[in-house]
Amino acid sequence: MIPLTVIGGFLGAGKTTLVNHLLSSAHKRWGVLVNDFGAINVDAALIAAQDGQTMALTNGCVCCSLGDDLGDALATIAMRQPEHVIVEASGVSDPWKIAQLALIEPGFLLEPLVVLVDTPALLAQLGDRWVGDTVARQLAFAEIIVLNKCDQASAATRAAVRARMQDLRPEAVLLEATGAVLAEATLSFTPASRPAVSRFYAEAVGHHFPTYALPAEIAFDRDRLRAVLGDLPRSVLRIKGVCQLGADAKPVLLQYAAERWAFTPAPAGLPSGLVVIGTPELPPQSELADQFAAAALD
Amino acid sequence: MSDKPQVTVFAARRIVTLDPSLPIATHVAVRDGRVLATGGAELVAQFGGRLDDRFAGKVLVPGFVEGHGHATDGLMWRAPYVGFFPRTAPNGQPAGGFKSIAEVVAHLRQVEISMTDPDQPLVAWGFDPIYFDGPRMTVADLDQISATRMVVVAHVSGHILNVNTKVLDKAGFSPDSNLDGLVRDGHGRLTGELQGPAVMGRANRATGDGGLLRALDVPGLRDYGRIAQRVGVTTSTDLANALTPDNVAALRAATNEADFPIRLVPAMRAREYSLDDGLARIAELKTMSTDKLRFGLVKLVVDGSIQGFTARLRWPGYHNGAPNGLWYVAPGELEGIVTAYHGAGHHLHIHTNGDEASELATEMVGRAIAAHPRRDHRHTLQHCQMADSGIFRRMQTFGMCVNLFANHIFYWGEQHAALTMGPSRVRHLDACATALACGVPLAIHSDTPVTPVDPRFTMWCAVNRLSSAGRVLGEHERITPLQALHAVTLGAAYTLKLDHLLGSIEVGKFADFAVLEDDPLTVDPVTIKDIPVVATVMGGQVFTAS
Repeated sequence: MIPLTVIGGFLGAGKTTLVNHLLSSAHKRWGVLVNDFGAINVDAALIAAQDGQTMALTNGCVCCSLGDDLGDALATIAMRQPEHVIVEASGVSDPWKIAQLALIEPGFLLEPLVVLVDTPALLAQLGDRWVGDTVARQLAFAEIIVLNKCDQASAATRAAVRARMQDLRPEAVLLEATGAVLAEATLSFTPASRPAVSRFYAEAVGHHFPTYALPAEIAFDRDRLRAVLGDLPRSVLRIKGVCQLGADAKPVLLQYAAERWAFTPAPAGLPSGLVVIGTPELPPQSELADQFAAAALD
Repeated sequence: MSDKPQVTVFAARRIVTLDPSLPIATHVAVRDGRVLATGGAELVAQFGGRLDDRFAGKVLVPGFVEGHGHATDGLMWRAPYVGFFPRTAPNGQPAGGFKSIAEVVAHLRQVEISMTDPDQPLVAWGFDPIYFDGPRMTVADLDQISATRMVVVAHVSGHILNVNTKVLDKAGFSPDSNLDGLVRDGHGRLTGELQGPAVMGRANRATGDGGLLRALDVPGLRDYGRIAQRVGVTTSTDLANALTPDNVAALRAATNEADFPIRLVPAMRAREYSLDDGLARIAELKTMSTDKLRFGLVKLVVDGSIQGFTARLRWPGYHNGAPNGLWYVAPGELEGIVTAYHGAGHHLHIHTNGDEASELATEMVGRAIAAHPRRDHRHTLQHCQMADSGIFRRMQTFGMCVNLFANHIFYWGEQHAALTMGPSRVRHLDACATALACGVPLAIHSDTPVTPVDPRFTMWCAVNRLSSAGRVLGEHERITPLQALHAVTLGAAYTLKLDHLLGSIEVGKFADFAVLEDDPLTVDPVTIKDIPVVATVMGGQVFTAS
């Protein structure tokens, strides 16, 4: 399973700058899907091969045009076997619409929805007659909000932006940045230093997000599971893992994010059990475990 | 004198010229594909012409100009059409007209039986359930057509697909999944209705069917030519074309054929290119025009559609409370794009459906003009369905044109009254009279294949403003038959910067005529759409409609 991070934010928030950083100073083989291929600015010496839709770098990274269909683009980039995929949403699109489609892409695990904001410009953008609602909508399901260009914003502006974020999306983690420089760990729920195979299944606490595992070996009643999933509090950001649905013995991979979820055939080799990731207000493990246990097949 | 060019004088019962110096004639002399003279029977002697009186009992009007159509209409017919309203296929056969889900399913079962390759998906188009009572189409309906073959029914609105279980499986839509755009029934199960480009794109990928995205080829262009010619069109736009070298090769090949019956005016879809590449491409294309293939238009898209709730509306927003729609390009970016193309001397056709989008595009054109003053740019707002007099006044100030989607009044007017705009704003849905009163040059259009190309019908909509329920929506926005005829001929030609070449029957212009059984200016206005088209004449060449 390849981790997949969707990056949103209005024009000028720094998404392309971030992508250029990732591609140029790769510590990983990033696979990046971008809207505007022309905006990618890496040292020409880094470019190993390029055609109209794909650019391969000498450091192992690959960058593809997002095009009209996310699934198509993901299938293309998966063939290059990147370690982590970044999807740069367009500056006017709703990144949550893109992120939830990734829930049903076989082979990808949805990492936090990261939304960048142009901190000095944000309050004006939110008040703009034409774009205010678009900017607010982009933030509505953000899990990490990066207040970018903080070097260009006064302390008072930063405080005012933080307050607005608290109103718009209290569940999100707020980070400050300058020049779209982020810690690599920002793109994942759990720090990258953990062993790749086990990290979702370890009883691990991510560096930003409380995380715990629910008991394994659960087969669910589909109607009661749907009721449980439909009723989860907003503090539950993600549930992912393998379970069994109804009488069907074939294991399925559940990915849940913000009141939306998808079941896809489980990839071979993943143990059963669900991992829950949330905000600091996440209900206690025992409470959620009880709710899910009540949805188990009799 | 055997090499003296041949003069043909067409005689008609009546010729509506739209030439103010002779509005009505009975004869038109043609030489070299162009109008040599208009007048009466004396033309035969005056010009030494051969009299062609095959249209002696008919009425000639300027050949119709479809100012916003898509030649992809010609590709649609490779798949079954299942619309509520009958339509005419390229071969002239009637299609569709299904009045219930059961009729659609029965028809598609017949189609399915005739298919030989079991892996070939069955993709139908034009489904329009807003006219049906009762439950919506479900996966159970389509599973009756086939449990083993993928079945897709595309709605005419362009925003919804219905699919069968086979497609849900192939696309990876588990019946227990819950994502935006997957419609579920009262039991929480998927109904097979997919709403919005994200989930629809996934289904299209599963079937491998490009649908509307199929590449335009020469046979498809020929079919479009037939469809348009049959309803009196002699010039049509193809208003969103990537204009890749392959696209251009197909356009040139088709339009160079001696019996290709229409002139085509493609618009370059700007979003296919970076700004610099797009500016270079349109400049290059402009050097490649012929009499039957005219390049020069640049298409921009600002918002989505009203019935899809993706159009950008001003206060008070959607009547049913749906959230405002989407910008397809950020307002700040739009300013840069408009300014760049305008500054380089190009001609923009800008899709705006909601009034906020029309207001924004008008503002950006105004800013571009302030930066680069230029007369006669003729930037045109396409659809512009919700503009009111305030927007039209500004458009007039900036020298802009409008092409209104008059067919919407009939096809979606009741939907707009009930859901999107409510009872007041629907009165100025596609406000033809206000546009003219404000002095904005007016065209009206079909957006085929979204609604069928047929300028008689488009005129009828603008003149009568009757909804599908038979109700007049906005009586004060009705225009006269003469104004409507102008809007589908000279008015449309003006928005394309072709009014000096076509759009009226005047000396020096192309001999492009629609030959009608009766005069749209004198028949009962509610019968304009029913006047038979006998033939067209394009560049002096006769094409019969049958």
